Amino acid sequence: MKETLFLKNTEAFAESMIRCGIRCHFAYPITPATDVMKYTSRMLPEVGGRMVQMESELAVSNALAGYACAGKLGATSSSGPGMTLMQEAIGFMAAGELPCIMLDAMRVGPGDGDIIGAQSTYFQATRGGGHGDYRVIVLAPSCGQEIAELMPQGIKLALTYRNPVLFVVDGVTCQMTETTTFDEPYDYTADFDTSDWAYTGTADHPKRFLLTGSYTHEQGYEMNERMRRKYAEIAEKEQMWEQEEVDDAEVLVVAFGIHGRMCKDLVESFRAQGKRVGFIRPITLWPFPNKAFENIPASVKSILVVEMNHGQMVDDVRLAVNGRVPVHFLGKTGGDIPMCTLADMTREASKLLEGE
Amino acid sequence: MQTLADYYGKTLKFDKLTSYCPGCGHGIVTRLVAETIESMGIREKTMSVVGIGCGGFSHHYLEVDAIEAIHGRAPATAIGYKIAMPDHVVFTYQGDGDTSAIGLHEIMHAANRGMPITCIMVNNSVFGMTGGQMSPTTIPGQVTTTTTKGRDVHIHGYPLLVPEMMRAMKGVAYLARETVVDVKSINRAAKSIRNAFECQVKGLGFAFVEVISPCPTGLHLSVPDAYAYAAKETLSYFKPQVFKNELEKSDEV
Repeated sequence: MKETLFLKNTEAFAESMIRCGIRCHFAYPITPATDVMKYTSRMLPEVGGRMVQMESELAVSNALAGYACAGKLGATSSSGPGMTLMQEAIGFMAAGELPCIMLDAMRVGPGDGDIIGAQSTYFQATRGGGHGDYRVIVLAPSCGQEIAELMPQGIKLALTYRNPVLFVVDGVTCQMTETTTFDEPYDYTADFDTSDWAYTGTADHPKRFLLTGSYTHEQGYEMNERMRRKYAEIAEKEQMWEQEEVDDAEVLVVAFGIHGRMCKDLVESFRAQGKRVGFIRPITLWPFPNKAFENIPASVKSILVVEMNHGQMVDDVRLAVNGRVPVHFLGKTGGDIPMCTLADMTREASKLLEGE
Repeated sequence: MQTLADYYGKTLKFDKLTSYCPGCGHGIVTRLVAETIESMGIREKTMSVVGIGCGGFSHHYLEVDAIEAIHGRAPATAIGYKIAMPDHVVFTYQGDGDTSAIGLHEIMHAANRGMPITCIMVNNSVFGMTGGQMSPTTIPGQVTTTTTKGRDVHIHGYPLLVPEMMRAMKGVAYLARETVVDVKSINRAAKSIRNAFECQVKGLGFAFVEVISPCPTGLHLSVPDAYAYAAKETLSYFKPQVFKNELEKSDEV
């Protein structure tokens, strides 16, 4: 039976992962992600799971890797500097082809930054903070409802491709409380048989070992080539985005997360005035939805990218557009209101409509 | 004719030469771990989590599932694995650099957490694989490539006594420092390693064994001289002893 709950969106993330079959959450307190672990520490034991509070994000991410080695899907949640500390193990898990679910309740940087919400970790999420050619699948829900809807998809992606999956939600959205309707609990992790790769002892398989450092040159080459093929497949098959009013648009607004959510109101308001504005909201940040930009109509004369940072996703939009249309940027981060308002977005889009 | 495999069973692999330098104590410690796993009959449900450095190769010579963890983080990885597979036996095998420099944080919290995992720290008082730099356990006066005039405690600090730091922790069920510098010591080390695994099987808590081992290459000494140096100089600072043994209490019950 479906159930509608009134929760903070961090709690919606926790509730979603519990309902979808995740039974172990490793975490270390950090604002604004901490509500996830408070929720799972209370709720996971009721379904036979546990929240494991480790001594640091370094320990969290490596314990998560150890858990994943057994073929089980665990989760973690963190923010800003905590995510920075986890990068080494995220690269390790990608290299070892170990699945996991993560939440980055994004806050402002650089350095230790501030606890205010932001989208400052787009580069870190999509490019990675660890060394080497690896990729993390990045999902960017814009509200609690979408977190709940994307969780089964995230679990499927993590276990299908044996790769870390990262949910990025800005700290503002994470701390919003709203209603979310959840589907009936279903263990999506049980749909996947991990016995052909999990490290569960030699009783049922010959010795397996996860090498990360002492592979031979040839083994390393083969591993990297295998991963290159996997990432190419993900990039081809798994792009997700939402778009509205694109077909005849003169100006396209591109934004993810909370700004992406605001695009609906923005575009409705322009259309009510007969102004041709549409939007594209990337849902996967890696793979970036290049396909959304492949066939943008000839009516589009400019694109406005809006972010809660100084311009990070705008680089990916420019690559996707490849010079066909001018791409402009509007962004804000930090301060008491750490984001662009609807008025800011309206003003900038109007300027572009008028050809300024 | 009896072969080595007949004697050691399946755990220790003989199909390739080891990468340990001639005379390195790691060869002995790896064998002791293999003998323990074999004699306890736990091979099929054992997971080895190794560190970075010479000890990171140990799993190549063992027929058990294995992970090479990130530098220093093997205890955290082992904890994650143990949570997923509570009925399995998981042990870490790390060098002194991996355990007591970059990984001191994880090993201390793992000890304090008291989860039944087994951690082996092979202490040869030098960074071996990277070419002989000072480790936290380099002894005073010891010459390394980064202490060319010998470790000066006023500049470099004092050698780190890891088991002594764990001694007061209630989560620690077995705690010992052993060495492999001579036959008698090797027999004692074998017993401690066995106890550290037994502790885990009985669910008593965290078990830790530091094993003092000679590194002829890092010490720039011949094998006999390296063993003599470790027996005299290294052991003068790191005294072998069993600090704690909850198995005794457990057996009494």
